[in-house]
Amino acid sequence: MDLQEYIELVFTDYTLRTITLGTAVLGTICGMLGSFAVLRKQSLLGDAISHAALPGIAIAFLIIETKNSAIFLVGALISGLIGTFWIRGITSKTHLKSDTALGLILSLFFGFGMLLLTYIQKMPNANQAGLESYLFGQAATLLESDVWLMVIVTGISLIILLLFWKELKLLLFDADYTKTLGFNTQFLDILITSFIVVAIVLGLQTVGVVLMSAMLLAPAAAARQWTNNLAVMVILAAIFGAFSGIFGTAISASQNNLSTGPVIVLVAGVFVLFSFIFSPRRGLLFREIRFRKNRNDLQLHKTLSFMYNIAKTHEDISHPHAIRILNNFQGFTRKSLQKLENKDYVKIKGNMWSMTKEGYHIAANLYDQLIKEEDE
Amino acid sequence: MNSAQIEIQLIASLVAIACAIPGTFLVLRKMALITDAISHSILPGIVIGFFITHDLSSPLLIVMAAASGVLTVVLVEFIQKTGLVKEDTAIGLVFPALFSIGIILIAKNANDVHLDVDAVLLGELAFAPFDRLALDGIDLGPKSLWIIGTILLITLGLLFAFFKELKVSTFDAGLASALGLSPVVIHYGLMTVSSITTVGAFDAVGAILVIALMIAPAATAYLLTNDLKKLLVLAVLFGVGSAIAGYWVAYALDASISGSMTTVLGVLFLMVYLFAPAKGLFSVLYRQKQQRIEVSLLTFLLHLRNHKEEEERHVKHLNEHINWQKVRSKSVLDLALKNNMITIHKDVVSLTPKGKKFTTEAIDYIVTNKNSEIENMKDRFFLFRG
Repeated sequence: MDLQEYIELVFTDYTLRTITLGTAVLGTICGMLGSFAVLRKQSLLGDAISHAALPGIAIAFLIIETKNSAIFLVGALISGLIGTFWIRGITSKTHLKSDTALGLILSLFFGFGMLLLTYIQKMPNANQAGLESYLFGQAATLLESDVWLMVIVTGISLIILLLFWKELKLLLFDADYTKTLGFNTQFLDILITSFIVVAIVLGLQTVGVVLMSAMLLAPAAAARQWTNNLAVMVILAAIFGAFSGIFGTAISASQNNLSTGPVIVLVAGVFVLFSFIFSPRRGLLFREIRFRKNRNDLQLHKTLSFMYNIAKTHEDISHPHAIRILNNFQGFTRKSLQKLENKDYVKIKGNMWSMTKEGYHIAANLYDQLIKEEDE
Repeated sequence: MNSAQIEIQLIASLVAIACAIPGTFLVLRKMALITDAISHSILPGIVIGFFITHDLSSPLLIVMAAASGVLTVVLVEFIQKTGLVKEDTAIGLVFPALFSIGIILIAKNANDVHLDVDAVLLGELAFAPFDRLALDGIDLGPKSLWIIGTILLITLGLLFAFFKELKVSTFDAGLASALGLSPVVIHYGLMTVSSITTVGAFDAVGAILVIALMIAPAATAYLLTNDLKKLLVLAVLFGVGSAIAGYWVAYALDASISGSMTTVLGVLFLMVYLFAPAKGLFSVLYRQKQQRIEVSLLTFLLHLRNHKEEEERHVKHLNEHINWQKVRSKSVLDLALKNNMITIHKDVVSLTPKGKKFTTEAIDYIVTNKNSEIENMKDRFFLFRG
């Protein structure tokens, strides 16, 4: 199937269109709210909440005894929120650290959910089939109504974000200052955490409990590498999320036996990897290049300054000296000498070198600069 | 009880012990979530090991899985060291990626892998007794019993051999490296043991219960004691207790054994979290209330000490002056009276000699910045606590 055919199919085929739209919208909202989770150092909260949502789904089913994704969402939301607040209770009231609290809630809630699910499976109720799809997610079960729900929730969270933008931004970077300004930090905190829970719960049906945390984190972590500006980061994360959804769906649709959730997560992972390596300011590649360049410059400066100290003792700064005397000095190599000559800092004649006026000037200032910096 | 039931409970108990020991150290070292990462990311290791051997019970699977567990730790640490993201983000990025690779590998080869993702996540303890180890036709018991037994023996051996080193490096990493114990070796040793335990346990109880069995008993015990040896013993007891209780709950409900073991652990943790004597929620809340009243009392007594004028010491005046509600000022007054700190004469409050001594000492501690000493002082002076 070539690209053009696929794009045509996206517009004509109901299932594919729904899934593509659904995963794209999900990626957008996850990217948006995930940025806050990542910056608030709550990255793994998503993992804990998505697991904690499972018993809610099971209990919702036990109560209504039929499958209804809207009711399931409410159940998941309630149990996700209970999990979140319990985590806060553990970390604030006991000496257990947040990692222990997260791991506890994650595993205990999930285990309880599994107990309920296996219990449901043994019940004589034909409707129970398909509850497991919440474990790993099944994008294929997305309906148009689900997508509409996602769009509405995304819209609401966008409005809330815009309304409270200033406050949330302040809370993110200086919580104490926010409090002293008289904002209700607890309210803001609960607001943003609740929306993160909502986003996670929305994604459960599509990518499932286990992989949901990556959906929340990966676009935000990728976006973080490209900017230091919150607004840009949120927008970038939303875009990365949306494209992970679209590409992930496309790849999994074009192959047999590829579930959508893992593929989306891997695509998002590729975005992260690419950002880690190639982002111009923070990326590993450019950092390494800068590092090497600095090291080379330092080497040159060391040699230059050594030469300067010799040249200084002579009346004529361009008095030639033997290259041999540089041998005592470790920073010197043929190559660095060549580089210095290319920059017109020194002249080389046979076995002798002499400093140029420019080189002398640069070396003198180099020394001054260092002193100046120390003084400051 | 038939022999299969005994065997299941035995396996569950051994798994619980094997998990509780490394789990305790992980909780103390604030690395609890690494078990979450390891238990998920061993999946690709298991799948690749299976492709090589085509045998689900081959030891190579355990080796591959443990290797991918250690790989996870290395990757997380590498990402963390780049400083591009925080540690928790690094964990959150690595394990879903590896888990996804595992799921995709299974899905692409669904025809020749008898590996069910559900089973990986949840395990099925009920089937463990059916997979038996036979040598020369003699039945030696379930295979998973042997696997987890071996792992437990190794863990126990390492624990007894390196208990001192583990203890020092857990509580004072700086001192440990000053004493010449390499933190790197201990760290990776612990990680390797955790990975191997996770792999061995995971076959029987699944990835999620492994996390629960590692973290929950240790966390529960940590709310009850601060002594490392007691902590280990309690964690093991909690683990074994909930393993056995969980089995019978599952038997009664006809539901997943691993799920009900986790649920029992959860209930146990909830109980301890609420009612633990010193660190439980209720006693913390009670203590906070007590502290609040006692701080008010101290403020009140200092106020009295600073004012000789009668109108400043009038009972009615206190309400407006220190800005307390009526109920609060009454409880503070009552407490002060009960402790013989004040006398009330015609609605005018004055300090007793004991009250004066108390405030003098308190001021001494406050100006010399030894606020923590005030707690000891309270023990000496108070007949009744707030």
